[in-house]
Order: sequence, then structure tokens, then C-alpha cells
Amino acid sequence: MYAHATMAMWPQWPASDWRPLQATRADVSVPDSTGSNHDGQLMRRIRARERPAFLEFYDRYAPLLLSVAARVLGNRPEAEDVLQEVCTQIWRSPEGYDAALGTLCGWAVTLTRNKAIDRVRATSRHRRLIEEVATSAGSDESAGVSANELLYGKERAARVRVALNALSSEQREVIELAFFAGLSQTEIASRLEQPLGTVKARIRRGMLKLRDELGDML
Amino acid sequence: MIDEPTEELASARALGALSAEEAQALDRQVQDDAELRALVAQMRGVTTLLAGTSAGLQPSAQRRAELMRQLDHRDAPASRGWLPWALAAGLAVLCLLLGWQTSALRGRLEAEQHRVNELNRLADTLRLESADLRQSVLTLQQSNRLANMRIVLLASQLHADPQAVAVSVWDNERQSGVILVRHLKPPPRNKDYQLWIIDPRYATPVDAGVLQVDPSGNGRVEFKARLPIQSANQFAVTEEAKGGVTVPTLTALVLAGT
Repeated sequence: MYAHATMAMWPQWPASDWRPLQATRADVSVPDSTGSNHDGQLMRRIRARERPAFLEFYDRYAPLLLSVAARVLGNRPEAEDVLQEVCTQIWRSPEGYDAALGTLCGWAVTLTRNKAIDRVRATSRHRRLIEEVATSAGSDESAGVSANELLYGKERAARVRVALNALSSEQREVIELAFFAGLSQTEIASRLEQPLGTVKARIRRGMLKLRDELGDML
Repeated sequence: MIDEPTEELASARALGALSAEEAQALDRQVQDDAELRALVAQMRGVTTLLAGTSAGLQPSAQRRAELMRQLDHRDAPASRGWLPWALAAGLAVLCLLLGWQTSALRGRLEAEQHRVNELNRLADTLRLESADLRQSVLTLQQSNRLANMRIVLLASQLHADPQAVAVSVWDNERQSGVILVRHLKPPPRNKDYQLWIIDPRYATPVDAGVLQVDPSGNGRVEFKARLPIQSANQFAVTEEAKGGVTVPTLTALVLAGT
């Protein structure tokens, strides 16, 4: 409900403004405002110190960022703190965003994930986080509303879930250990007692498969 | 065409699973390779969707309001705009204070300098007055001493030696005197010149001693009277027996003066 209400406030950009990363995919049907073109305009306005632009960014992406931080930290108040830090950093240093390397949302997610990982690494909770991620990897988390559902709606969130479920458990495990537990490939290999090359290959294949399945949403 | 190792790097980069060195190496490679740059962007898109699988949470309105307040406080342009003005205003106030202090100090310095000049002038005046007073005292002392002195010119009483002359100065207070003699021929070998002081207090001249002159007839002799002198009215020099006598021989008067 939130996602729909929020999206109604956003400007509706013409489909011609959108440049899908994989133009060969024919199933690009619903242009949304998470694309790089919109990101570029939004960031230009933020860099111009336009408060409405920053509020637009916050209202759109804060739920996703808070969700990621909370998943890593397992603690909502701390996650809220991380969200504050990230948003402050984006407002103060918007020049850190490079549109050529991804979306504004992707940049903000990376900042949030890295800050949360840094926090959890500084405490004794890291080992517990690794265990939690390893245990939950491969499980279907469709029971609750995901951040993707808040951001993109049910249909798209379901597509992401399906794509993830289509990965082998080994692929999903290494990807989630890397992203949510903050382990390097070497650390993953050590933990899983697998050759480093195997871990790299699982990550590569899993990521490429997700890209192929979700390319129109990227 | 991107090879598998590079795809591995791009995938791991998007997940944050590369070491710092590996990440930097890939980032350098991305700068010059548009295809690789696109792949990295896609992989980041995938991780964004992956992140979205987290349980959805909504930030509280309170946190949102708090953030907006923080941004107001940390608004860099506003801060940067305010700070120079504040600094300039602070400096201006400081300059005014320093100027005021300098002016006040200069005023005090000038007042002190004026006071020093006044004191110097007063000291000069006192020094002059002191010198005047010393001079006055000296003058008074001298005038007082002169008042007690008796200066007498003794003229020659000899027809054969008219150039002979003497000046006698007598200090009545000290009861001593000095006589200067010029052009008086030395006495015969068995004779001496003898000085006499005529004081009305005594019936006969008072002996003041013998005079010695050099071969050219000049001499300077300090003398004292044999008796206390109250008033040295006259001085006289006589030629007497060697060593002097107690009563002068008036017929042998050589020099005399009143």
C-alpha cells in the first residue's frame, strides 16, 4: 500500500526516457522511476541542494535501505542510525555517485550495506550473523512483505523471489554470505571448505543467472 | 567480450566480496572498458534486487523529521555561507576593539609623555634655581670674605728704586695674608726685608715676618702677624738686621701702603 501511495506522488516519466540495460529483452513493459535517467535528474537536483529532490529520494528508497541495514544488523534502532548516516552522507557528498556504475538506488544500497557490515564486524555479532545468513540461505522468505514489494510492488517482488529460488542452494548461499554477511570470496571458501575457484564460479554463475532473469528490472 | 575471470571479479565487486586491492584493480579496468562498466552496473542492479529481498521496514516519521532537522543543521552551503560572514563580523569587532584599545593606550602614552616632559622641565628649573642659589651663596660667601679682606698696594719709598712695588692681601678672619713683591732689589747680605702691619690697637707696628725675594726682585710670601690683628690699616716693609727685629727701624722704610 505504501509503495503505491508513494509512487502516485512521483512524476510519470515517459517510456522513451528509459534505457533498459538489456534492450534485447522484450518483456520490458512497466517503466518505473528507478532508472538511471531519473536517477541522474534526481541526483542533479540533490546536488543543486533541492530539498524536495532529497525528500523524494528518501521517501522512495529509505524503506529499502532500512530493510537492508536491519537484515545485516538484526537490530532496528541501529539500522535506523545507519539509515540516518547514509542519507546524511548522500546529502552532503552527492558527488560520490557515478551514474555510469549503476543506479542511485544501487549506490545507496551499497553504502548502507557497507556501513551495516562495518558496524557488525566491530562487534561480536558478526559470527552470529554469518550463521543466520548461512541458515536462512535458500529458504523462501515470502511469508512477510519484502522491501522489493514496498518498492516495486508484489508482482515484481515475486519475480525476484522466483529468480532467487531458481538458483542452486550453493549459488544462493555464496551470494548471500558475500552480500549480507560481508564475507570475502576467500572467507567464504574457508568457511564452506570449498576451493576458492569454486566459490568464484558459483558467485559468477548465480549473479549472471539473476541478471538474465531480472534484466528488465535493472 | 568479457572473459570469465573478469565476470567473476565484476560479480564479486557488486557483492562487496573483493579485497581492497582487487576492487581497485577492477575499478581502474572499468574506467577504460565500457562493456565491463555496463556489466558492473548490471551486477550492482542485481545486488540491489537481492537487497530488496530483506523484510520490508518503513522508517518512522519521527526518524524522518529528525533527519530533516539534521540536514538543516548540516546544510553545507548554508554553513559555508554563514561562516565567512561570522568570521568577518568577528574580525571587524576584534579590529574595533583593538583600535579602541590602541587609541586609549596612545592617549595614556601621550598623557604620560606630557607628564614626563613636565617633570623634566621642573627638574631643569630646579637645577637652574639650584645653580643660581649656589652661585648666590658663593657670591655671598665671597662678598663676605672680601669684606673681611684688606688689600693694600705698597709703593716704593726708595728714591734709588722707585719701580719696587708690592700688594698685600690680608684675611682678617683667618688672620693671615699674602704679599706679592715685584722689582725690589735684594737686600744687602747682612740685611732682611721685614713686613709690618699697623693696627691702631697697638702702639707699634706688628711684626709679620721677613720677606725673601729672588735675585730679580720678585717674591711671594704668605705671612701671619705676631699679634692678633683687629684692623690692618697699613702695611710697611723695612730693611732690618738679618733675621728681623721686634721694633721696626723707621728710617729704613722700603715699601708702604694704606
